[in-house]
Amino acid sequence: MLFKLAIRNMKRCARDYLVYLITITLISALLYAFNSLLFQNDLKKYWDTEDMMEMMVFLATILIMFITAWLISYMVRFMMAKRSKEFGTYLLLGMKKSAVSILYLLENILLGVIALFFGILLGTLLQQVLMAILFSLLNMTYRLHLYFHPGTFLMTAFCFSICYLLSLSRCRKKFRKMNIHDLMEAERKNEEIAEKHEPAKKLLLPLSILFLLFFWLIFGSLQSSGGVALFLIGLVLTIYLFYTGLSAYIICYIRKGGKFIYRGQNLFLMRQFSSKIRTMQFTLGTLTVLLTLALMGSSIALMFSTWQNTLLHHKFPFDILLYSPDPADTFEEEIEFLKNRVTPLDIIPYHIYTDGDNQVNTWMLTHLSAWGTMYQTPDGRPDMTEIEYFLENNNVYCPFDTYMGLSDYNRLRGMLGYEKITLESTEYAVQIKPRLEQEVQAIGDDLKICGISSAPSSSGEGARTEPLLLSLSGIYADPFSQDGHNGCDYLIIVPDETLSRMQPYHSELAIDIDGTAPPNLRNELNALRSENAGYTSPDDFFAQSFRGHGSDIMMNTSSVNEVKDNLLPALSYMMASLMIPLFYIGLVFLCVAVTVLSVQQLSDSASYRFRYDVLSKLGLKESELRGLIFKQLTAYYLCPALFSIIISGKLMLFAGNRFVTATGVPVSSGFFFLKSAVLFFGVYLIYFAVTYVSFQRNIRGRT
Amino acid sequence: MNDYIKICDIEKYYGNGSQITKAIDRLTFSVDKGEFMGIMGASGSGKTTLLNLLATIDRVSAGHIFYGETDITALSEDALSEFRKNNLGFVFQEYNLLDTLTIEENISLALTLLGRTRAEVQETAEKLLNLLDIREIKDRFPYQVSGGQKQRCACARALANDPKLLLADEPTGALDSLSSQTLLETFTSLNQTLGTTILMVTHDAFSASYCSRILFLRDGKIFHELFRGEKSRQLFLQEILDVLASAGGKTIH
Repeated sequence: MLFKLAIRNMKRCARDYLVYLITITLISALLYAFNSLLFQNDLKKYWDTEDMMEMMVFLATILIMFITAWLISYMVRFMMAKRSKEFGTYLLLGMKKSAVSILYLLENILLGVIALFFGILLGTLLQQVLMAILFSLLNMTYRLHLYFHPGTFLMTAFCFSICYLLSLSRCRKKFRKMNIHDLMEAERKNEEIAEKHEPAKKLLLPLSILFLLFFWLIFGSLQSSGGVALFLIGLVLTIYLFYTGLSAYIICYIRKGGKFIYRGQNLFLMRQFSSKIRTMQFTLGTLTVLLTLALMGSSIALMFSTWQNTLLHHKFPFDILLYSPDPADTFEEEIEFLKNRVTPLDIIPYHIYTDGDNQVNTWMLTHLSAWGTMYQTPDGRPDMTEIEYFLENNNVYCPFDTYMGLSDYNRLRGMLGYEKITLESTEYAVQIKPRLEQEVQAIGDDLKICGISSAPSSSGEGARTEPLLLSLSGIYADPFSQDGHNGCDYLIIVPDETLSRMQPYHSELAIDIDGTAPPNLRNELNALRSENAGYTSPDDFFAQSFRGHGSDIMMNTSSVNEVKDNLLPALSYMMASLMIPLFYIGLVFLCVAVTVLSVQQLSDSASYRFRYDVLSKLGLKESELRGLIFKQLTAYYLCPALFSIIISGKLMLFAGNRFVTATGVPVSSGFFFLKSAVLFFGVYLIYFAVTYVSFQRNIRGRT
Repeated sequence: MNDYIKICDIEKYYGNGSQITKAIDRLTFSVDKGEFMGIMGASGSGKTTLLNLLATIDRVSAGHIFYGETDITALSEDALSEFRKNNLGFVFQEYNLLDTLTIEENISLALTLLGRTRAEVQETAEKLLNLLDIREIKDRFPYQVSGGQKQRCACARALANDPKLLLADEPTGALDSLSSQTLLETFTSLNQTLGTTILMVTHDAFSASYCSRILFLRDGKIFHELFRGEKSRQLFLQEILDVLASAGGKTIH
């Protein structure tokens, strides 16, 4: 009998809380699809970075389990409160408390099993979509093959059960404490609106707004981590107290008899809104946090994805590029080794030169926006003490300026398919990273690059050649592997004869190959070269090798042995292991938040139906009622969404700005946030539409 | 004065085919301006259906209902809403107050829906709060006041649009005897001092004794009619009880 009753109740619940059922089905599908990355990852065999993907997915899964447990526990408590009268009636009829509690548990478990069943079916499809996305990110073809993996299933079922156990154990305790009277009265308690100390609470609204203004104004200039932490605590407090303030403000406005309430249905709408946010202030705060995190997650994921789509392939223009700190290195062994592994079309060993000066480094540190005024004295001149300290202790730029001869440069340009350049003996050129091209337009005004002059010296002491200042011929910003190989950020290209007054700084070997490189070539090169250089592990070899990595601090891909065909997919995979879990978390957080919003509205439809019925008797037309429902739902949905946009907007504009400056992705700093806000509103709108339609249907059934 | 509201040969059926139930069967009567009319009858006699038809929240199957020159059976849904807003007031057994609004706001809302200005709303609400003697509880929510006070608030709201007709469906059904008496005295006073036309459905003879005329319904038809005239309320009550007794007693609830 109990089981029959549980099934009947569960069916009713599934109908009443369809949005919730859909969301937990979706979450279990996502859990299944992502867990599959831990157990049936077809990509595992290709790269040594698979640990990162697994770790990220695992972390995301734990986070999602927490949030799902919260959603389930919230819903279980919510449904319990809504059905308290029914439970009271069971008790009145003589059912034991334990039996009622088991009945309720049974209903929820049945609901969970259904969600899990459909979730895994959907998850099997989603898993294929996920693999297809991953493969396409790596430019590989994926052949769909549906299959069921017991490990993935067990893991998903385990995660799901943990979520249920966590939330249902609390509910049993609640049942034990309740008596018939409490259960019968619980429903009435829901309707009571506590209005106390409203004028004092009202102050929380201007305080929250002030804090938000303050947050927008000074967040970017916060320096210490303590300051940031304090600020974040303030932000969380503001998020929670804002709703109390907003509700109190509306109540006070209504009490004062403000002008706005005497227009149309505004009074009804405002009261409805204020009482709803008053009873749900804590939940709304939590939803705002979830929505903020969802927006941030997807914005950050979009940053990585944009970088990957626009810049990653620029990072490795050469098929193979090897670095050696030893200027005398001729790469004989490496060339021999590579000839056996690939078919070289062209092999160019060459040198990067230096004049032992650091005027170009100084110019970079004092003119690039990435450094701001950090290396300038208060009067705007270079702070040489700071600069010298920086060059010695940070591997951003080489300690000395880097140069290349014109003939080497043109050969390399030829290898990459770029047009060759010409220089007069009195000229030099600058090869710069694409992202810095606009920032170095004035570099020619300041640099003093010396050439070789055959003119007799003015002192008339015979035919001795004398330095002459070269002028800037042009700036070239084609991708040129400038994260430590061909200079750090820049190279000064000079006529070959000018090199006679410089020393080789380090050696490079560029190879153009026919076809693609074997998958493990880079690892083999790493092992070979670290052994030859006398290091026990490739890590030590890398740590000691590079003099600088350039200013792409945020997304640095520098590698002593660059093998394009190995690095591109490996880095894409690494980016995917950041992006995909971030999207995953963002999507789940968003769905959980909107589900709670929807369920809150739909489950109250009985009392709404009554209210709209009264309004209809008071003479409101059908169209006016529809408009009122729309306004009510819109206000309720927009409030946490706008609030979270204000908060995450500032954080993401700031992060986006830093990201664009540091990586040079060719988009504006607001792009990531705007795009993720559009995606966010897409999902939001779907939930809104479903809620609106269901709400209308519930209200239309009014008596 | 006469034929303020005219009900002409109205019928109301429910169901279709062989399952037709006739709730109202060719009913004709009129309500005079300033009249306090009661409708009595057993469960299923059609009294609430009649009230719903007059209240424009249900449509007749046949016949016409005229409010003055306006035939409400010919109006569209939107026109009916407009008509309801401007001409009718409702008082129900379950009060039908909006639980998120205070007592005063429940009254103000009805006024703002009529498009009144802020000053008018405030002035009228104040007047109605005083008239119904609920000024002291104006800032409370419905759950914080007694049933009688709620019903008086519902009354005040019903009067907000200065209605052509005040419709009351078992208004004392959920009230204790003292509150019932107070409410009925309020109705009488509204009827006599303001000239409000009231139509009240009730099964309670005591409540009905406050009316000036009573229609007794059975199977959707009028089977008896009583006028109070100059009689005392006690005497009128006795007459009502006699009608109920002669009708079989058991059939009247």
